[in-house]
Amino acid sequence: MRKLLLVLLVVLFATMMFSETIKVLAWDDAHSQSWNTLKNDFEKATGIKVDLELIPSGSMLQKTALNVTENRANYDLVAIDEGNVAKFGDLLLPYSQWPEGNVFPKVGTNDIPAAIFAAAEWGGQLVGIPNNGNMYIWMTREDLINNEEYQAEFFDQFGYELQVPQTLDQLMNMCVFFEPKGIYGFAPFTATSEGATCEAVMFFESFGTSVLEMVDGKYQVSLDREKALQAIMFYKELMDYSPQGALSMGHGERIGAFSDGLVFSMFQWPGIVPSHENVDESMVAGQIVYTAPPAGPFARTAVRGCWIFGIPRASTKQAAAAEFAYWVNNYEVGLKLAEEGMTPVRTDLLNELSGEKPWYTGMAEAGQFAVSRPNRSVHYPELSEVIKTNWLGAVTERMTAEEAVDNIIEDLNELLESYE
Amino acid sequence: MSNSTNIKRLPLRKERGPFLYFILPAALIVGVVLVFPIIYGFGLSFFNWPQVDDGTRAFINFGNYLELFKDNEFWHSLSLQLGFIFIAIPIELIIGFFVAILFNHDFPLSGFLRTLLLLPVFILPILSGLTWKLMLQPRYGAITYLLGLFGMEFPQGILSDQSLAYIAVIIQDIWRMWPFMFMILYAGITSLPKDIMEAAEIDGAGFIKKTFAITLPMLRGTITTAILLRTIDALRIFSEVFVMTGGGPGNGTMLFSLYIHKQAFEFGKLGYASAMAVILIVISLFFAFGLVRKNMDIDTM
Repeated sequence: MRKLLLVLLVVLFATMMFSETIKVLAWDDAHSQSWNTLKNDFEKATGIKVDLELIPSGSMLQKTALNVTENRANYDLVAIDEGNVAKFGDLLLPYSQWPEGNVFPKVGTNDIPAAIFAAAEWGGQLVGIPNNGNMYIWMTREDLINNEEYQAEFFDQFGYELQVPQTLDQLMNMCVFFEPKGIYGFAPFTATSEGATCEAVMFFESFGTSVLEMVDGKYQVSLDREKALQAIMFYKELMDYSPQGALSMGHGERIGAFSDGLVFSMFQWPGIVPSHENVDESMVAGQIVYTAPPAGPFARTAVRGCWIFGIPRASTKQAAAAEFAYWVNNYEVGLKLAEEGMTPVRTDLLNELSGEKPWYTGMAEAGQFAVSRPNRSVHYPELSEVIKTNWLGAVTERMTAEEAVDNIIEDLNELLESYE
Repeated sequence: MSNSTNIKRLPLRKERGPFLYFILPAALIVGVVLVFPIIYGFGLSFFNWPQVDDGTRAFINFGNYLELFKDNEFWHSLSLQLGFIFIAIPIELIIGFFVAILFNHDFPLSGFLRTLLLLPVFILPILSGLTWKLMLQPRYGAITYLLGLFGMEFPQGILSDQSLAYIAVIIQDIWRMWPFMFMILYAGITSLPKDIMEAAEIDGAGFIKKTFAITLPMLRGTITTAILLRTIDALRIFSEVFVMTGGGPGNGTMLFSLYIHKQAFEFGKLGYASAMAVILIVISLFFAFGLVRKNMDIDTM
C-alpha cells in the first residue's frame, strides 16, 4: 500500500514537473467551444495541458490588451480579431519563426487560401494563423432559380438563364423580376454597426475603388469619387427591392427576412448560416445555394473578418502554443472539430465537408475573393466610423451621395493627419 | 427658526470611536468603488491614454478638454442628453403626479392596479430597450401595427428616422419610469395631513385649488427628491438606448453616455472619454446642488 502511494506521488510529481500547460485566450461561441470539447484529444496526443479561456468576443480586446505586452504574456496563444491585428502585431511572433510541430505538422500557407491567410499580415509579414474563415458568402434561393415557370419568364424578359447572380447587374435584373412576385431581391445591411462599413467596402471594391490604401506603411485616402458615387447609387437602387425596414436592417432583421422566405439573394457571414439551414428557424432551409458574391463592374469581392491565432513574443511556451494552433488547423482533427461546431478554414476541409454543410462551398469560393477592411491601423474604429456614418447617410438618404463621398474623403484625411 | 439640518457634534474623540468603526466599512467600499475611480478618471482626463499602449500615452494637460469643446459630436450628444432630461422627466412627473392623486382615492381594485402599474420599473432597462425595438419593427412590431390601424404608416421603420427614433427613446423611458415618479409621489401624497385637505374642502376649495394651492407646495420636497433621482438616473441612461438604436440612425440618438462609451471602448480613447465623464459629473453636481439648494430644506453649504 505504501509502495503504491509512493508510486502515485512520484507520478503526480513527475506530471507536475514535466507536463507543460499553456494558457489560451479565445472568444466564446460554437466554433471555439469545439476546441474545448476535444482538447483532451490534444492533451493525450501531445502531453501538453491546455487552459482554454473563452470569453465574450466584445471583451477580447480589453483582456488581450491587459495581458499581452512587450515584456509580459499571461497567455501563450491568443485569438485576435482581424481588426485588432494592428494593435498587437508588433507583440506577436512572426509565423515564419513559429517552431515546427512535434505531433501536428506546421500548417502551410497553401493549406489556407492566401486571401484569408492575409488576415494575419502585419508589417509585411504574417504574425499568426487564421483560425476561422469568416468572409461574406452569397446566399441565393435555389427553389426560386429552379422554378421552371420563373426560368421561362425570366429568359423571355432578360434573354439569359435565371441563375445565381454572377454580377451585380444580373442581381439587379433579378430584383426587378421578382418584385411583382412579392419577393424582395436583396436585403441590405443598414444598422449602425460595423456591418455597414463591410457593405461600403464590398461595394466600393466591386466598383474598383478602395477607401484607403497603404503606401510606405501608412494609409492614404484613395477613394475615387466617381466610382464611389456609382457604388452608392447602385446600392440605393438595390434597396428599392428590399423588405420593409430596409433603412435599419441589422443581422436580426436580415436573418428574419431571408428565413421567412421574403428575400431572393443576399450576403451572409458563415457563422450565421446554420440558422438559415435550421428547419426549426427557417422556412428556406435546404433551399439555399452558396457562392462567392456577384461581381461588380471591377471585381468580385468578399469582405473578410477572420480571427487569427497569435503567439505573444513574451510567451515562454511558444512551441506548445504553436502545437495547439496546428492541432486546430489540422486536416484530420478538423473533421472531428467540424462535427462539434467548428467552421474550418482549410480549403481541403471546406471541400471535403461541403456535402454536409453546403455553405462551405461558398466559403471556399468566396475565400479566393476576400478583401480586408482598411483595418491595419490602430485607429481603425475611427476610420470605420467615418466610412459607416457617411455610407449610411447616403444610402438612407439623410445626405446626398456626393456629400457622403466628399465627407468620407475629407474626414478621413483630417483623421489621418491628426494622427501623424 | 433655522431650517438647516443640524448635526450634533460629538465632543470627545472617545465617543466618536464607535461611530467611526461603523462608518469605516461603508467608507472603505465607497472609497474603493466610487471615490477612487472618480479621482483616477479625473487624472486620466489629462492624459492621452489609448486603450492599447501604442507608445503615445502622455500627459497632455487640458488637451482633452480643449478638444472636447471643438468636437461638434460632443455638443450634439450633450444637447440630446439634456433634451432627453428636459422632455422625459417633466412628462413622467406630470403623469406620476396625477395618477398618484387618482390612487389617493379608494376605488375597486385600486390596490391591484397600483401594483400592476409599477411593473415597468422592475423591467431591466436592456430588456425594455429590446422589447421596444421589437415592438417598433416595421414588419412585425406590435406598435407599428397598431399605428397602422390609425393610418400612421412607417414602412421604413420608426427607428430608421432620426427624429422619430429620438422620440421613441424618450417614450420608452417615460413608459418605464413614470411609475417610479408615481411611487414616490404617491408615498408623499398619502403622508400629507388629511385635516388640511378637509379644512380646504370645508372652505369650498375645488380639485384644482387643492392640487395647486395645497398638494403641490406641500409635496415640494418629495417632488425635488423624485426629480433629482430621475435626473441622476437619466444622465447615465445607456443600455436601453444602446440596444434600441445603438446611437443611430446616424447620430440621432447618440446620447452623452453612449458617446462616452464609443470614445472609450470603440475608439479606445480612455483619456478623452474620461474628460467627458468628468463633464458628466460636473453636470450631475450642477443638477443636484441646484435642485437641492433651491427646493429642499437642507443647507448644502
